[in-house]
Amino acid sequence: MVISPVHYIAVPLLAAFLMPLLAKIHRELTRIVPGLVILYLGYVSVVLMNQVMAHGTIVEVIAGWNAPWGINLVYSPFTGFLASMMTAMAFVIWLYSYRFKKVDSQPALKYFILFMMLVTGTIGIVLTGDIFNFFVFLEITAISSYSLTAFYRDRDGAEAAFKYLLIGSFASAFILIAILLLYTQVGTLNMAQIAVRMHDVPTHMKITILILFLVGLGIEAEMFPLNGWAPDAYSQAPSPVGVTFAALVVKAGVYGLIRIIFTLFDVHGAYEYLIVMGAITLVMAELAAIRQKSLKRMLAYSSIGQMGVVMIAFGIGTNEAVFGAIFLMFNHAVIKGLLFMSGSYLVYNTPNKEIQYLSGYGMKMPLISLFFSLGALAIVGLPPFAGFWSKLYILIAAADNQMIGLIALILGVSIVEIVYYFRVVGRLYFGKPSKGSIMQKPTYGGVIAMSLLAIVILVVGFYPDVITPYIHNAADALLDKAQYIHSVLPNADLSQIQNLK
Amino acid sequence: MDTIDYYQIMSIGVYGSAIGLILIGLYAVLMKKHLTKIVIGLSIIDAGINLLFIAIGYISNGTAPIYSSQGIDLVKTGTPMVDPVPQALVLTAIVIGFGVTAVALSLVIRLYRHHNTARIDQIKSLKW
Amino acid sequence: MKKLLIILLLAVVGYFLTVSMSNIKFGANRMGDLSQPKTVGAFYLSKTPGELSVANVITAIVVNYRGFDTLGEVSVLFLAATGLGSILYKKKKKGEHIPTVNKPSSALLQAGSKLIFPAILVLGAYVFIHGHLTPGGGFQGGAIIATGFLLMMMSYKDFTMNHSVITWVESLAGITFASIGLIGLIVDHSFLENFLPIGYINDLISGGIIPLIYVAVGFKVAAELSGVLDTLLSIKEK
Repeated sequence: MVISPVHYIAVPLLAAFLMPLLAKIHRELTRIVPGLVILYLGYVSVVLMNQVMAHGTIVEVIAGWNAPWGINLVYSPFTGFLASMMTAMAFVIWLYSYRFKKVDSQPALKYFILFMMLVTGTIGIVLTGDIFNFFVFLEITAISSYSLTAFYRDRDGAEAAFKYLLIGSFASAFILIAILLLYTQVGTLNMAQIAVRMHDVPTHMKITILILFLVGLGIEAEMFPLNGWAPDAYSQAPSPVGVTFAALVVKAGVYGLIRIIFTLFDVHGAYEYLIVMGAITLVMAELAAIRQKSLKRMLAYSSIGQMGVVMIAFGIGTNEAVFGAIFLMFNHAVIKGLLFMSGSYLVYNTPNKEIQYLSGYGMKMPLISLFFSLGALAIVGLPPFAGFWSKLYILIAAADNQMIGLIALILGVSIVEIVYYFRVVGRLYFGKPSKGSIMQKPTYGGVIAMSLLAIVILVVGFYPDVITPYIHNAADALLDKAQYIHSVLPNADLSQIQNLK
Repeated sequence: MDTIDYYQIMSIGVYGSAIGLILIGLYAVLMKKHLTKIVIGLSIIDAGINLLFIAIGYISNGTAPIYSSQGIDLVKTGTPMVDPVPQALVLTAIVIGFGVTAVALSLVIRLYRHHNTARIDQIKSLKW
Repeated sequence: MKKLLIILLLAVVGYFLTVSMSNIKFGANRMGDLSQPKTVGAFYLSKTPGELSVANVITAIVVNYRGFDTLGEVSVLFLAATGLGSILYKKKKKGEHIPTVNKPSSALLQAGSKLIFPAILVLGAYVFIHGHLTPGGGFQGGAIIATGFLLMMMSYKDFTMNHSVITWVESLAGITFASIGLIGLIVDHSFLENFLPIGYINDLISGGIIPLIYVAVGFKVAAELSGVLDTLLSIKEK
């Protein structure tokens, strides 16, 4: 069998359907099989990324019907990079949740099925080239997220999940109406074909549809003011799921937003909208983060703030800015993953996960504290860690476009970030140790997972060149709309296509 | 009876009831305090959107897109068939709506068990 | 105050939707010419009888042209069933039986439901086996079968679903769907591509893999919906 992008979807689904039967053979299989599946997807990623870097975009046709008639998967340098990143993160999260103590006391089988489907859904969102298929994968992601958020019964998980479900249902309603209106205008569901025909859609209709999409996907991408669900969901879900939200689900939401604005529509104001909403999201989230008492909620707000920066960078829209944005998406997945993983061990037994009880943990849990401090240093963008480079590229791009206000904003917010992260780190190492707190010993899988992420942060920090070629290709692929359409529809008339940026 | 008028009335009827359903559902979600009623509201919104989907696929005097044994040459002549794509999409949307409703109801059951009430204003952590 | 805001919001949404829908004429033919299809709808209508020899175009779309969506859809159902199990998870004691209804129903209802239960099952099976010929299909047939089980759960206090059977049916049906897709990938280099002879239109055995997939979907939907209903009904009150 030739390796092709559909393996990303078909193999995990087959495994998910198999798992209830495997569980009858041996219980341990329910934990091992998802890891093997994700490992196989990692192999698929390596093979396909090499092909894509050498020969360009791979378009896979489903059910033998060529685009635009059937559904197709588009594995371009951009989508391929995101899918590979998600696979890698999924593997690390699997390592982390393997034998995760609290997961074990609950039905492990259901946890791992839901987790695997969550990963499949996010990868499907990124790879699909069909707008309705995009919606289906969005719903797969959403339903598994709701269930995973409510996984623990000793917390307020059900409340957080219900909130998430309410807002998520609004999102899917908006996206469905947008797809409906779009279908009446262009008579197709293929994204490339939509992009070709978008030129003939009346402007008022175009803007109506775009607004519906932006509201719907804004919810998934945690854009202000539609991100009320996020801190609750992050803090109430099991820790590995919180990591999955930060590393995979939000990325998929941002990808949807970017694909809609960059490829499907040719509306000028959309880029400015991204900058403005990104800036508001950034400021509101960081101001909320500094007020949080709970470590997990602080990390969640910080995560929303980072997404704000990503949106600003995509909104600037030049090649450097998009490069910086994709780089930041990668860094955010890795660094926020490390922060969530180590943070949740730090607050494992503290009441309400509050920061004030962490005094002096630096001596008691040296390794975990070291990981957390490394993540904190990296995420605020201090050299020589990974976060520095992405921030630098975004600032340079803003400077090239004379956006002085934005530079001031990003730098100003960085100071806020430094304040609240270093408050935690300071308490870890210089706080007066409190008595009687019980330390949670991390699992071996957890230590390996965190070490892997820490190594990535250091390597990318010192040698960013290991990753930049991929990101450069990804940025080029995202910005070259005509090339995207050409690879999906070789015979399409490209004369009407214009790149806005 | 003039056919154009007939379709105008039909369009107001079908689109109007679909939009009406969406608004009723939205009202239920935003105003009602009982969690089950909120879930019902979500289902009503789904129903409205599905109706809207079917409505945009309709073609005047169209028949169902199913070929009978003699009807294969209908492609070229005869009565038009309605657009099959929205109907297929609605099938998917209905199933997804079912999944979301099932998960929502199970969450309501969990909340009721935990708090002994299903009213949104009595569950503290649901306020925001 | 809050009420006023919500009514204002509803008015805005209503106005927004009405204005956008007023641009879309009801009953207008937006598909265009069937002989030279420019839209997907026209393409499916014109190609289905010849290339797939399936009478019901919607089935052809759901299972073949957009079969990938349907695989996703089936996974959504699977996810909902799994999610329900994890959200309402409770360690059951061995041999413990939780009745689905609190009071036993009347003899009339019990006898009547026993009478029509097999008929409902047969109707459901008919609907999904003939999905490619007549209106209906795997989802509809599966839903009909689940209503039969719902009827039995409501009228008999001690009616139990065998969870092991449900797990087997839904897993095997899902595996069948995904494997048919993978066989297409191996044989014809395209996931879910038809690899069987298509036969003649309006025959029971026609359309290649389409009836096979729809029967698998029917079993899966029936098992999953019944499982979901059983989980929701057999919850112990405190």
